[in-house]
Amino acid sequence: MSLLEIDGVVAGYGRGPDILRGVDLTVEEGEVQCIIGPNGAGKSTLLKTIAGLLRPRKGRVVFQGEVLNGLRPDQIIRRGIAFLPQERSLFPDMTVLENLRMGGYALEDKSLMSERIEEAFAQFPILKERYKQKARTLSGGQQQMLVMGRALVLRPHLVMLDEPSLGLAPQIVAQLFEIVRGFKDQGMTVLMVEQNARQGLNCADRGCVLDLGQRVFDGPADGILDDPRIQELYLGTQKKAETS
Amino acid sequence: MATADVSVTDNRDTTTSSGYKSRKYILGVIVAALALVPVLQWQTTNNLNFWLNLLIIIFLWITMSTSWNIIGGYAGYISLGHNVFAAIGGYLAAMLLLRLDIPVFVTAPFAGLVAMVVGFVIGLITLRVRGPAFIISTIALVLVLRTIIDNWDFLGGVRGLTLPLIGLDVQLVKIPFYYAMLLVALLSIYFSYWIRHSKFGLGLRAISQDEIKAETAGIPTKMYKVLAYAASAFFIGVAGALWSQYVTFVDPGTYLIILFGARPVLMTLLGGKGTVAGPVVGAALVILATEFSESQFGGTELNVIGVGVVMIIVLLFFPDGLVGSLRRAGRLPALLDWD
Amino acid sequence: MIADLPQIIVTGLALGGLYALMASGLTLIFGVMRIVNLAHPAFIFISAYITWKLFTDLSIDPLVALAVTMPVMFVFGMIVYKLFFAREADNPRYIEITVLTTFALALIIEGVLGFIFKGTVRSTNPPYSQQAFFIGDIFLSRAQLYAGLIGIGLIAFLWVILQYTRIGYAIRATTQNRSAAQVVGVNVERTSMIAFGLGVAMAGAAGSLFSFVFTFFPGGHWEWLAILLALIVLGGMGSLPGAVIGAYLLTIASVFVNDQIGFKWGPMTFFLALFIVLMVRPQGLFGSKIEAT
Repeated sequence: MSLLEIDGVVAGYGRGPDILRGVDLTVEEGEVQCIIGPNGAGKSTLLKTIAGLLRPRKGRVVFQGEVLNGLRPDQIIRRGIAFLPQERSLFPDMTVLENLRMGGYALEDKSLMSERIEEAFAQFPILKERYKQKARTLSGGQQQMLVMGRALVLRPHLVMLDEPSLGLAPQIVAQLFEIVRGFKDQGMTVLMVEQNARQGLNCADRGCVLDLGQRVFDGPADGILDDPRIQELYLGTQKKAETS
Repeated sequence: MATADVSVTDNRDTTTSSGYKSRKYILGVIVAALALVPVLQWQTTNNLNFWLNLLIIIFLWITMSTSWNIIGGYAGYISLGHNVFAAIGGYLAAMLLLRLDIPVFVTAPFAGLVAMVVGFVIGLITLRVRGPAFIISTIALVLVLRTIIDNWDFLGGVRGLTLPLIGLDVQLVKIPFYYAMLLVALLSIYFSYWIRHSKFGLGLRAISQDEIKAETAGIPTKMYKVLAYAASAFFIGVAGALWSQYVTFVDPGTYLIILFGARPVLMTLLGGKGTVAGPVVGAALVILATEFSESQFGGTELNVIGVGVVMIIVLLFFPDGLVGSLRRAGRLPALLDWD
Repeated sequence: MIADLPQIIVTGLALGGLYALMASGLTLIFGVMRIVNLAHPAFIFISAYITWKLFTDLSIDPLVALAVTMPVMFVFGMIVYKLFFAREADNPRYIEITVLTTFALALIIEGVLGFIFKGTVRSTNPPYSQQAFFIGDIFLSRAQLYAGLIGIGLIAFLWVILQYTRIGYAIRATTQNRSAAQVVGVNVERTSMIAFGLGVAMAGAAGSLFSFVFTFFPGGHWEWLAILLALIVLGGMGSLPGAVIGAYLLTIASVFVNDQIGFKWGPMTFFLALFIVLMVRPQGLFGSKIEAT
């Protein structure tokens, strides 16, 4: 049994049209999977649907054998799925420390939380230095570190990242993918959406291509990188600057 | 994202069906009948003043809600303080009558113009904000004006001004007001209809849907909003002026209470915000219900509760109002489809 | 004339605490849910009437009645939230619908209060409501002092809840970034309900204190609405410290206007301040912009 199984999921916003038009996808325990695809393919929508922010109109989301359809986001996170959205979801007027505590909001065990906060500080010394500062005063890179640190505090079974590299300087992007690999080493499974397809796939074990609300391809990440058709259609000959 | 697809639809594709052809005549007959009602005054032994009064009140509120709908419905800027324009019209006409002895029938259009100019100036100031800030500012406006008038002896202070009755006997006294109010109501509906079908009205509806997109589509949103605000003040000022002599007084306790400002909002919501017929239907229903409950149960508390309860029910269950909900269900009679 | 200044400041400081308490729930509710609760003063009036009833029928001191009104209004607030606002979260016309719903609620409350208690002007008169301290020439009403101190005490209590408890974290998180709160596992619906309840409980406490400092009649809440809105708009809507500072600044200013220009112009301070701040600096002193997108 796969960790996460997406089964013919159809979803969209409000009364709007279907964005996902029957997506099938599996995520295996312990892997890093990267979803790529053009703008408007439904990549973010898929992650939002898994996280419970959108309700699937059809199909099933099954995590560890349990159907998640209809659960609230806070119930889904308690089952071990964390979602880091595209817009850095920080609390601007809370301090760095308070933001990390919010990361562990879903944890029942408070001593475990302080332990994990210490570990997050150990991995991101810059956050420790600034623990009393309000999140709004951090730079873009530091804010992303804080978001990552928050995921470390919760240490979910599955962590989903939506375009983590968006708007970051190149050297920080490299550092960021290191951190994502680190998640894997710490026992987390990663499902990631990246516009920055090459780097995203480089970091991943497996890749998946989403287009027009459907999965059009999946397989080992390096296989996708080498596939000439996919190169032409979805990777471009060169890395393009992202737009959203 | 930069594309300006302001989706304002025009629902006139059904104009060809038979109901729409006869609509013009039916409406004409209704107006003619309303115009002839006072003639019955000579036909009956008991006079019809009760019914004339009821119709005058309905005409007044049709004018209020139809005018409110221009800014609140078409442009989507909720004002809870449009009674300031009725007060401006009422006080202006009252002062001109008392000091210079000019009848309100002469001064009413002038009162409307003044209300419109004041509306333009206020609009320039308050329409720079939107959402909750705008709504709050309209309440603040009422209270500022009320405090000023309460304390201004020149305008009679808290006690207001008492006006003389017009010198006609009881059979005739309501008739000039009846025709004047009917005319004002019809003109305001026509004005609203005209705006609804103009480029200006299209711009206002674009503003209410997405102001930023409207702006990028090249609509001068700022000027449109201010003009809509001023336009919505005109007939309210006229009606306020007529009303002052009809009831023979103006005072802050009548014109400048929150309930006065809330009524056109309720009527328009009930009837259908942003439609031409909605405010007319809403005003008639609210007034009939109010008059009925007052005659049956008396007491203003029940009225206040009634207004609140109806408003909540409409907001929670029929946010499109009667006309809007019927149209959505495809069951709007052609007679009421004036959009 | 300006020799009155110490008196003005003392009166303003004493009253300011009560004003701040009255405004605290309004700012909390706006912060968490972006609802401008036009019924807030009507909620305060409900509590004032309950307190009055307890005082006249059972001779319960208003300060004791507070222990009743706060929990009662807390539950009342949560029920109101569930009934009228819980389903509206995704409504594209959210701001319009919620504002008008609170407006309609205020009308209903006004009508019900009028129906039960009639239009008579009421107030409670416990012994301390007619007593005063004198510090030199300065006069300080005991009623105002008690109300002001308890008001500030309760705001401090609310602040501690917000700052240090689990629900406090959830409320602040929801205020600052609703979707982020959802993403870290806050049940924003439940949090909103509790925050609404807390805000209305603050109105409940304020009503009990209000009952012996001011007089009230069913339709009197509209004037207070503009006053309270002025306080929180000046301080920045959604900001609790802002509401406190706004309350002290405007209360002192209005006492000054009462004293120097005339009693009847005092309320005008609030109305004009409200209007001017909205036009010049809608985000107030500490808030973020309150314009809706």
